[in-house]
Amino acid sequence: MRLGMVIDLKRCIACYGCQLSCKAEHGTPPGVFFARVIKREEGHYPTVSQLFLPVLCNHCTDAPCVDVCPTEASHYCEGGIVDIDADKCVGCRACMMACPYNNRYFNGERQNYFPDAGPTVYEIARSERHQEGVVMKCNFCKDRLAEGKQPSCVANCATNARTFGDLDDPNSNVSRLIKERGGFTLHPEAGTSPNVYYLAP
Amino acid sequence: MNFFSRQKNESASAQPRSKHDDTWIKSSCALCYGTCSTLVHRVDGVVVKIEGNPDSVIGKGKLCGKGVSGIMTHYDPYRLKKPLRRTNPNKGIGIDPGWKEISWDEALDEVAAQLRRVRAEDPRKLIVQRTTTVTAARVPIRAFATGFGTPHYSAAGGGIHCGNGAHLISGIMHASWSVVPDFALCNYAIYFGASKGHGAGHVSCSNMGLAADARARGMKMVVVDPMCNFAAAKASEWVPLRVGTDAALALAMCNVIVNELGTYDVPYLKAKTNGPYLIGPDKLYVRDPDTQKPLVWDVRRGEARPFDAVPADDMALDGEFSAGGVTCHPAFHLLKDHFRKFTPASAEAITTVPAADIRRIAAEFAHEARIGSTIVIDGVTVPYRPVAAIAFRGSQGHKNSVYNFLAIDLLNQLVGAADVAGSCLGFNPASNGFPETGRLAYVPKPGPDGIMVSGTWMGHHYPYPIKEPRHPKQLGLQDLFSMCQSSPFIASSDQEQFWQQFDLPYRPEMLVNLGANALMSIGTKETVAKALARLKFIVSIDLFLTETSDFADIVLPDCDYLQSYDSRSSYPFIFGHPAGMGEWCWSMRQPVLEPEGEQRRFADILLDLADRAGFGPDMNAAFNASLNLPPAYRLESDKRYSWPEICDVELKSNFGPEHGLEWFKEHGVMKWPKKPEEVYWRAFTTARVPIYWEFLPATYAKIAAIAEPRGLKIPREYYEPLADFNPCLSHQCKKDGFEFYAFYYRDSIHTNSYTMENPWLDEAARLDPYSYTITVNRTAGERQGLTHGDAIRVETETGRFVEGRLCLSEAIHPEGLGIAALAGHWRDGMPIANGKGVFFNELLELDWDHFSPVNLNLDLCAKVKVTKIGAVS
Repeated sequence: MRLGMVIDLKRCIACYGCQLSCKAEHGTPPGVFFARVIKREEGHYPTVSQLFLPVLCNHCTDAPCVDVCPTEASHYCEGGIVDIDADKCVGCRACMMACPYNNRYFNGERQNYFPDAGPTVYEIARSERHQEGVVMKCNFCKDRLAEGKQPSCVANCATNARTFGDLDDPNSNVSRLIKERGGFTLHPEAGTSPNVYYLAP
Repeated sequence: MNFFSRQKNESASAQPRSKHDDTWIKSSCALCYGTCSTLVHRVDGVVVKIEGNPDSVIGKGKLCGKGVSGIMTHYDPYRLKKPLRRTNPNKGIGIDPGWKEISWDEALDEVAAQLRRVRAEDPRKLIVQRTTTVTAARVPIRAFATGFGTPHYSAAGGGIHCGNGAHLISGIMHASWSVVPDFALCNYAIYFGASKGHGAGHVSCSNMGLAADARARGMKMVVVDPMCNFAAAKASEWVPLRVGTDAALALAMCNVIVNELGTYDVPYLKAKTNGPYLIGPDKLYVRDPDTQKPLVWDVRRGEARPFDAVPADDMALDGEFSAGGVTCHPAFHLLKDHFRKFTPASAEAITTVPAADIRRIAAEFAHEARIGSTIVIDGVTVPYRPVAAIAFRGSQGHKNSVYNFLAIDLLNQLVGAADVAGSCLGFNPASNGFPETGRLAYVPKPGPDGIMVSGTWMGHHYPYPIKEPRHPKQLGLQDLFSMCQSSPFIASSDQEQFWQQFDLPYRPEMLVNLGANALMSIGTKETVAKALARLKFIVSIDLFLTETSDFADIVLPDCDYLQSYDSRSSYPFIFGHPAGMGEWCWSMRQPVLEPEGEQRRFADILLDLADRAGFGPDMNAAFNASLNLPPAYRLESDKRYSWPEICDVELKSNFGPEHGLEWFKEHGVMKWPKKPEEVYWRAFTTARVPIYWEFLPATYAKIAAIAEPRGLKIPREYYEPLADFNPCLSHQCKKDGFEFYAFYYRDSIHTNSYTMENPWLDEAARLDPYSYTITVNRTAGERQGLTHGDAIRVETETGRFVEGRLCLSEAIHPEGLGIAALAGHWRDGMPIANGKGVFFNELLELDWDHFSPVNLNLDLCAKVKVTKIGAVS
């Protein structure tokens, strides 16, 4: 089983539902986004288009972050999910340098969203479990998968732009979409074999 | 899907959950007026996640970025928790009210004493105002106003957010609050200044899914907009145009369709519009002398006869006739002639859209309409016109508001693409009601002159027939300008001049404000501040101290949507329910959390105030009327009800005694299937819609007869029966250096001025290239020596200005200057919001010259000069 995601750029409207439902799911600190949306203009007026590109950890099959981690904190889990064991992470940030996608974040000192007022009860419940001084990133919502749910960004996508499944299964929706629509990955030249695919806008 | 079923127990133990409280509660969002259905996860008394409710049609199990972020609004430490009274009698921008905490009893008694005094003197001295964000506010605050006896109900001040044009014309032409393509079947949609299905507004999340499915299916989407963001960014074709010139473009397309291609739906125009009605030289219907009914020309009999006596097929659409000695023409004949002046070349000069593109798009639209075709839906044969021209805030937010929207809708009317399969749909104009009780049924019907009257409406007065203009006795002059819904005169700079001009026998003294930040939501702040400061007493029910509560005498701490009830979060269906086939779905809101501190729910505050001020029975009577409660469920006159009790009564009255509030708290939604006869009702009605607005000249004459003797000139060119292009004031500015049309647009990550205080949304907006910046075309900006990231000042002819960071973009018309949302808060009651983004409304003058003379819609554009005030930071 090789878990992966397909993101249909034709459907995505950059509503930030994924970025923010991810934040709500994980209680990530300020400045940390396991999922985020990038907007970029392409072309020149008036023949211009907007690229809305949702990004997250690519859960690469040949993940340079795993290779470079000196403590084996970054590791492969079942289904090929790349995760970080916070107890093993020493915060050296070598993985962040190695990741060609900039989808890892260092959780430095504790931060709150209302800096002058201390943590909210939500942040106490959901954010304070994140260790400080370690690197953090998307883990395909492993806890939700265990409950039989889709990753938060997939379940919440109002345009159904995201599909999640087993890339090893040729009959899965993700495999079918990649085959039918010519799915592509980001920075294939990096040789990381990403497991997040995109469909052209 | 369960990839880790083996690990389930282990994983569950990794996140220990209390046995005492781990609950998912069915409710509704309120981060915007889309009110999508939610599932709120509460663990040990803390909301840890808000998701969409997949069992509901409203949102279809999804939420937008705003909806999932509601947690951070709820837990904002700057939420109000105690009633406050000002100690500083001086009111003004930047003046500290000197808040002092007081008890609820003190606060309510003081407000009630003011209410008693004003009500005894003249109840019209009270204005009640609410934010448009919270749809749940509508019923209780209207009942409060009605019970009190004031006609002055305002939606956030009737300024820039007001959809006076969109709702009026959608009401007259589609019997609904708004229009949308029939996403499931439409093949070609033209959007004019609208983002339906792309992140904001009515039925936000459901439409996002429906629009994405339509685009994936291959629906071509042409988006006319000065900026390529949201819908335009997802368009098959973006058509940039000069700000505010939408009518000129739409009318040129109409001209191509009718006079160049001759591709229009003759049977539809004959049967479903007033196109065949004969018009005399006075621009009015030629009427049957006996019945006073409008006449049509019966081609079979060769004579003029009342419209309802002639089979539609036999009606003439073209030609010159004589009826009762009067030379006359069918309305469509005049419309067709009228279109001729809108040549694609002349439209190019006004809009900057190339004539060849205008011709091509019009031809594609007409071709894709498949005039004459039908389709079978659930066994019912209905006309099939898979095209839609839709409009919303952007195009209708100009001085030419009415014609802009009407001109766009004429595209639909010409090809018969109105409320049939695949076409432009009103949001649910017809419903057979809940099958088990027969309640909630409504359908558009033919009214005076056979013209359609909508089946239901949001306000007391339906959009058609046009309310008789009267000598104004209302502050907003809506009784004179009777096609206006929400009036900006409530805060305009010339309000006193108008009130004197019309001998208004009283002045406003008191405001009950529910959550609206009027100082930001209407227009330039200095003007609004003066209007607020003139009021003797303001009570503001708020979540936060806002720029507006600075002017309040008493501030009361409200509960938010996670702490409140609403019995009808998706109703009226013409407002907040997805259009097209599928299911009907009634949703509701229930509290997930208790009030914090001394917060109270606004509906209960209003009921308490009515009770203390002695008009509780009148408010109960108003509820009976506005909720249309049948006799068995009517509120008793002298009984004091809580808001949940009223919610329970409303639900039971509609869904039967077993389906009260308790049932809904458990089940969340009530659903039943839609029928093709409901969704595609147009094919089954004899009502006609006006492509020729015969009532406008008559309305003009009545308004002018009242206004002109008082020295107010009514510009006739806005009251002609045929849609036209009238320029905005901005189009007439020729001052040197004023090169750009500044315009406001809605951002999908923010709602009004409310969500800037949410730190998750604020963070997302800070990372977005456009949300908090001022967007100018790259080439145009560079020509002026500007660099991306510069600090700039944007200044109007009258010297009003805003400052902000420049975003040089390829995705905006060279003459456009785009500013998103209602940002730029300046007070510390919302510290996250303070100083973020740009306060666009500062650029908008609030006076008669900037209002539509028909529906008082405030123009959203201003001609501006841009100067650099600092380098890239």
